Amino acid sequence: MNERAGIAGRGGGVALRCVGLVKRYEDVVAVAGLDLEVRTGECFGLLGPNGAGKTTTIEICEGLLAPTDGTVRVLDMDWTHDATQLRSRIGVTLQETRLFAKQTVRELLALFVALYDDARSADELLAIVALEEKAGARYQHLSGGQKQRLAVAAALAGRPDLLFLDEPTTGLDPQSRRSLWDVIRRFRDDDGGTVVLTTHYMDEAEALCDRVGIVDHGKLIALGSPRELVSSLGAAHVVEVDADGIDAAFDTAALEALPGVVEHACTTERLTLTVRQPHVAVPAVLRAVEAKSLRLRGLSTRHLALEDVFVHLTGRHLRDGEAE
Amino acid sequence: MTRRFGMRPRVMRALTGVAWREYLRTPEAVFWTYGFPLVMALVLGFAFGEGRQEPAHVGVVATAPAGTSFAEKLREHGGGRLHVEVVEESRARRALTLGRVDLVVRGDAEHPAFELDPARPGSELARLLTEDALASVRGEPRPVRATIEAVDEPGDRYIDFLVAGLIGLNLLGAGIYGIGYNLVLMREKHLLRRLAVTPLGRGEFLLSYVASRIVLAMIPPLVIVAFAWAVFGVPVRGSFLALLGLFLLGSFTFCGIGLLVGSRTQSTETVSGLMNVVMLPMWLLGGVFFGNERFPELLQPIVRTVPMTWLTDAIRGVMLGSLETGGIAIAAAVLGAIGLLCFCLAFKLFRWT
Repeated sequence: MNERAGIAGRGGGVALRCVGLVKRYEDVVAVAGLDLEVRTGECFGLLGPNGAGKTTTIEICEGLLAPTDGTVRVLDMDWTHDATQLRSRIGVTLQETRLFAKQTVRELLALFVALYDDARSADELLAIVALEEKAGARYQHLSGGQKQRLAVAAALAGRPDLLFLDEPTTGLDPQSRRSLWDVIRRFRDDDGGTVVLTTHYMDEAEALCDRVGIVDHGKLIALGSPRELVSSLGAAHVVEVDADGIDAAFDTAALEALPGVVEHACTTERLTLTVRQPHVAVPAVLRAVEAKSLRLRGLSTRHLALEDVFVHLTGRHLRDGEAE
Repeated sequence: MTRRFGMRPRVMRALTGVAWREYLRTPEAVFWTYGFPLVMALVLGFAFGEGRQEPAHVGVVATAPAGTSFAEKLREHGGGRLHVEVVEESRARRALTLGRVDLVVRGDAEHPAFELDPARPGSELARLLTEDALASVRGEPRPVRATIEAVDEPGDRYIDFLVAGLIGLNLLGAGIYGIGYNLVLMREKHLLRRLAVTPLGRGEFLLSYVASRIVLAMIPPLVIVAFAWAVFGVPVRGSFLALLGLFLLGSFTFCGIGLLVGSRTQSTETVSGLMNVVMLPMWLLGGVFFGNERFPELLQPIVRTVPMTWLTDAIRGVMLGSLETGGIAIAAAVLGAIGLLCFCLAFKLFRWT
């Protein structure tokens, strides 16, 4: 993307490359031949429903899991030969990690600072994630958002070149999410760092990521910037029309005759159209509804989002069948 | 995956600080390490206390009206060693079963009948004392008895025996819970995974974690020794330095066992079972609460394999002089070897995830 060209161009390189990645457990295939390339200086999002293989993929990249097959190059090194060096150059937050409960925020940061030979100071880290006020509070008394900010601060302790964040904002309130997004953006923009994160929040990927890879059943099924992915659908807007008995009034031929309609779906109460130009499609729809003497109960239009891309590709919603 | 084996003092200090604070800020953990052995020493020390001879409790069945005066006479002639009470016929058996009395007496001084449970240690004594008292009531001369030397000098009492056992249990708990259980807890909380993706080395982590715990574990045994000396006058007859060395060695061995137990166990439920398997033989066969030399021949090989046996033997050897220097040295060597073996195995087996 254009606004990122400056930083991406600086290194111009590849921070992470996976080729033919496979992770097979006894009875499940978690990752089924995944190819991935993350450019230096970009924020890359792995997007997909739970169980899609996002966490397995990112944990292989972090050196926590060994792949069954395929290769991973991280910062031009690999885990079999350069593990120690790699660990000093990446920063990681994991899912569901609980740190030492009785330590204060500052003490925990001091521990992570001590682990790296070239590290930020605990004070600097506190400032980055705006946790100065909680410096003396014990970990067990922090809120979910504060714990997650602390986790990101700990990940930044060793001045990493590459940051891996596994579902960094899951379960957080909107304000905490936004403040974390700011921290991540500043790492990318000010430090020129590369970010690889997983999420199942569409809005997070759209707000934060330069490029997104959509993962389903252990495979990458789409790749591009959020805008590219959305425009790949050939339309930019969704129009939803609510009226009782609307499905009986419109047959497929009638729907396809409407101007600028790319996709359509209908239930007894709601007609959903994916359209190129809402100012052309909406009046036509309204005229048709009036002609059929239906009572209109609602009308809304919105921009297409990544969610629609996922639905288009898989026929499912991202949060469908979520275990949690 | 290669990892550096070099030890960075900065990292070891940081981890040690975390481990100490984590322990000291958990009041219940501090209570179990300090409070528990001291309470146990107090209770058991006084229960099997020194000097005071427990009187024998005798219940005289009230066959009115003679019962009450018979009981009076028996009390008078018992010389303070008989605690006589009058019991109803209907309650006599129950008093015996519950241990409220050691012996039930029926009839009178001329025709007494006893009821007792021969398996109970106190009942024979009660019988002897009561027969003496009855003879005295009848005006017969007292039978000749050998003179008695009471063994209640410091160093020969049950509490003197017990202190080494309590120290052993304390060190065992520190190793198994402090290291083994905590390690699994850290794995379960994904804390170990989080540390695994930093430049922290396996050696750095394990050694500083264990070292910090070994140092912590040294303190409670010293408190137990000081407490036992202050309250019961339990002596330290051998070298105090040797005793310190044994505490260190015992701590090392049990920490090694704890580390092995927790080296790759995934869940705290599993490790709890594993810990019981390890600890039960130590409690029962390790010479903690009672001597293990009179255990059946069949059990002796196990008794001799349990590290607790070697530790309690050696501690008693130093404190009470019950073992020659050579014997103490052998026990120390066995402990060290077991500990070292566990450490090497645990280091090899250890998993972050």
